[in-house]
Amino acid sequence: MGLFILRRFGIMILTALCLTFIVFWLTNLYPKLEVLAKTQGNFRMSDEAVTTFLDNRGYTQALPIKYGQWLGVLPGYVIEGSDGETRARCELRGPPSDINPPLSRYCGIIQGNWGFSTVAKVEVSDVLPTRLANTGKLMFWVMLVMIPGALTIGVLAGMREGSKMDRSLSTVSIVSTATPEYVSGVILIALFATPLFGMQFFKGSAASAVDDANFNNFFLPVITIALYGMGYIARMTRASMTEVMTAQFVRTARLKGVSFRNIVMKHALRNALIAPFTVIMLQVPWLLNGVVIVETLFTYQGFGWELVRAASNNDIEMLLGISVISVFVVLMTQLISDIGYVFLNPRIRIS
Amino acid sequence: MTNKTLTGAALHPAVDVYVKDANAGKLSRREFLTRTTALGVTSAAAYGLLGLEQPAAAAGHAQQGGTMRMQMEVRALKDTRATDWTQIAFVYAGWLEYLVEYNSDGSFESALLESWEVNDDATVYTLNVRQGVKWNNGDDFTADDVARVISDWCDTAAEGNSMAGRMTALVDTDTGVAAEGAINVTGPHQVTLNLPKSDITLIAGMADYPAAVYHSGFDNENPLNDMVGTGPYISESHEVGVKSVLVRNEGHEWWGYAEGRGAFLDRIEFIDYGTDPSAWVAAAAADEIDMTYETVGDFVEVFKSIGYEESAIASASTIVVRPNQAAEVDGVMPYADVRVRKAIAMAVNNEVCLELGYANQGVVARNQHVGPMHPEWADVPATAYDPEGALALLTEAGMADFEMEIVSIDDDWRKNTTDAVAAQLRDAGFNVKRTIMPGSTFWNDWTKYPFSSTNWNHRPLGTQVLGLAYRSGEAWNEFAFSNAEFDTLLDEANALADADSRRVVMEKLQAILTDEAVTIQPYWRTIYRHAKPGFVGWDMHIAYLPHIYKIAIAA
Repeated sequence: MGLFILRRFGIMILTALCLTFIVFWLTNLYPKLEVLAKTQGNFRMSDEAVTTFLDNRGYTQALPIKYGQWLGVLPGYVIEGSDGETRARCELRGPPSDINPPLSRYCGIIQGNWGFSTVAKVEVSDVLPTRLANTGKLMFWVMLVMIPGALTIGVLAGMREGSKMDRSLSTVSIVSTATPEYVSGVILIALFATPLFGMQFFKGSAASAVDDANFNNFFLPVITIALYGMGYIARMTRASMTEVMTAQFVRTARLKGVSFRNIVMKHALRNALIAPFTVIMLQVPWLLNGVVIVETLFTYQGFGWELVRAASNNDIEMLLGISVISVFVVLMTQLISDIGYVFLNPRIRIS
Repeated sequence: MTNKTLTGAALHPAVDVYVKDANAGKLSRREFLTRTTALGVTSAAAYGLLGLEQPAAAAGHAQQGGTMRMQMEVRALKDTRATDWTQIAFVYAGWLEYLVEYNSDGSFESALLESWEVNDDATVYTLNVRQGVKWNNGDDFTADDVARVISDWCDTAAEGNSMAGRMTALVDTDTGVAAEGAINVTGPHQVTLNLPKSDITLIAGMADYPAAVYHSGFDNENPLNDMVGTGPYISESHEVGVKSVLVRNEGHEWWGYAEGRGAFLDRIEFIDYGTDPSAWVAAAAADEIDMTYETVGDFVEVFKSIGYEESAIASASTIVVRPNQAAEVDGVMPYADVRVRKAIAMAVNNEVCLELGYANQGVVARNQHVGPMHPEWADVPATAYDPEGALALLTEAGMADFEMEIVSIDDDWRKNTTDAVAAQLRDAGFNVKRTIMPGSTFWNDWTKYPFSSTNWNHRPLGTQVLGLAYRSGEAWNEFAFSNAEFDTLLDEANALADADSRRVVMEKLQAILTDEAVTIQPYWRTIYRHAKPGFVGWDMHIAYLPHIYKIAIAA
């Protein structure tokens, strides 16, 4: 088991390295650097001004060297700029704080320096925790709505395959999972957050939910993400439930005269929930997709919103930080699902 | 006010001519105000010369205190001279102020300068610095500060410094800094500018949004690091893309309080809802904002329908859809031929562009980039709309089969207007391809696309945009327009402080732009702002200038 987890961590680091290198390469393509220079300097800058800007700030060094500096395996650049000012990668930027270590030769992610957001003009490590906390809050409420909802629908539908209840609940879950967030979100806003249909119960903007989340401003973003995941998990639960309900031991229990209620609650449910558990954990990375769309749609300043902003402004180090965290989240949930699977299903042993 | 001029000096000789013109109906009120106040006449006296009362400021109806929340993009602050978004200026305008203020009625009002005088041929400017102004760190604001800031503006080597373009008359082209002896401190509160050549746009340049006056300890990288300024507010928090909050600087005795200038609100919040106007409507419906920064396109109607008040002003903000004369496409320079450009101009009906591109929220223009809102505008007729003649001319130039690629940014009005141009060219029988680029990549090469559209902001004087965008070799000359006669005439126009004599030259300049068919400039935009009822002093500014101290809650 220990070896298994160790191996998983190895894979995690390798994936993170590959992914960040790809992101690094894409964001360091020259046209993207030009965008960066123009958003930082003046967006109507001349070409010569762009070149000196990039030279002075170390952006024109070779790609592997820059990547090494970001990682912290190569010493950071010290460049005497054409304007006479000396700029170093490891210099103190922004207001001094505990997170800003004093000058050192190496300052990469290995040394705990996540870099500097060129758009927000603050350390990446200052921004990401607040964004993650916001997204965490959103995800918590999504899970709280989605999991009980999905399991109830799935179990109810799977109890009696082909019944009216099964058909209607299945239809609902197929529709909800077939509607992506960028469709359902817009429909929900139009229905419940505008005066058009006389049902303006909620707010179509979640910007105020960052500080003060309440039912009014947080319901729509939560339900938009939850609906999408709910349908899928409900389908999986239903499939696994119907399979269990036709299993030999359930038939035996029925023949022995156990009540239907007891069959479902005591015998079927535990076995039926093994598959949905894995699905729920694997669903987390998918929900991150939804978070990107929903946070942007509802202007909720979380992780996904930050990703969109960083990507559109070519905020290199912010994007890299986001990539590292994404890799961590995705592989962690897989690890948890693998370990949890063992506990739920004693027949499986991980060698 | 007893004095007719800000300094108490005699009226500039040109003022009499203006009064006659205005009374004869040759001059609109706004033009009259722009011209006379630029020559140092007080705005009260300027209204008086026309026999009018100056409209009372909103101050009488304002309530002291309160909070205002405005929807606005919150961007990172940078060197004030390199400011390329007025939204940035809205934030630092809390503590950094301007020497001169330009108002929507076209007048220039004194701010940190108490008054100024310009000599007849616009070569000597005497700037009188307001006395009794203090920086919020306790230092006195003096003529040295003004001289320092002006010479900083002239530094062409500073990265992204766009003020150098507004101060060209003071800049020595060899050294790239202010010419020796151009900026003189002639008293504790007086600065005299001796220009090597005439320039009438200097005062207008000092009123533009990057011209904020900062302290000598200013941090060029980020103005937030050291918020020393003369203004009434200070930044409480500034989170890019999220929110920026200005609060009253309690310890600071702002000079404007004694003058009754305002700064009524205790707290101003700028909240970022991204670039999609539907999110702004959602925010307004959710009562998360009190007003918009600017309302565009169809959303003007939407905001009206949710009960918001409207402020509209016809400005010189515009769009140009232009070919680049130096651009090479497949080894040829298609737009170097004036016949091709002329054909493009003849095939496009500007009224259609206004209707389809901007929902008729503006005034039709004549492809000359100078309009009735500018004092020196001359009534030069536009190229006649003639689609058949256009195709004939294009065929004559041998370019009938050439595929024109028209690039635009991916947004609402700029895209639609460019589409309207492309559609009309297609209707005329041209071979046209449309390309739409996202905002993040569009600006990379905005001056170099063979054929593309760009928006241009309002500028008080007609010669200003011509100098920035149409003079040969200028960085922002996206037309690659190079015409020696035009440059000479422009220099000549810039030496004429009197707008009437300037109009004679302007007529020729406008005629050159029409004959050379430099660009399509289909309309002047009316710009809008909407606010929840209950606020005063929030009117949309003709040049988006950040006069935030005027905003207040209605009493």
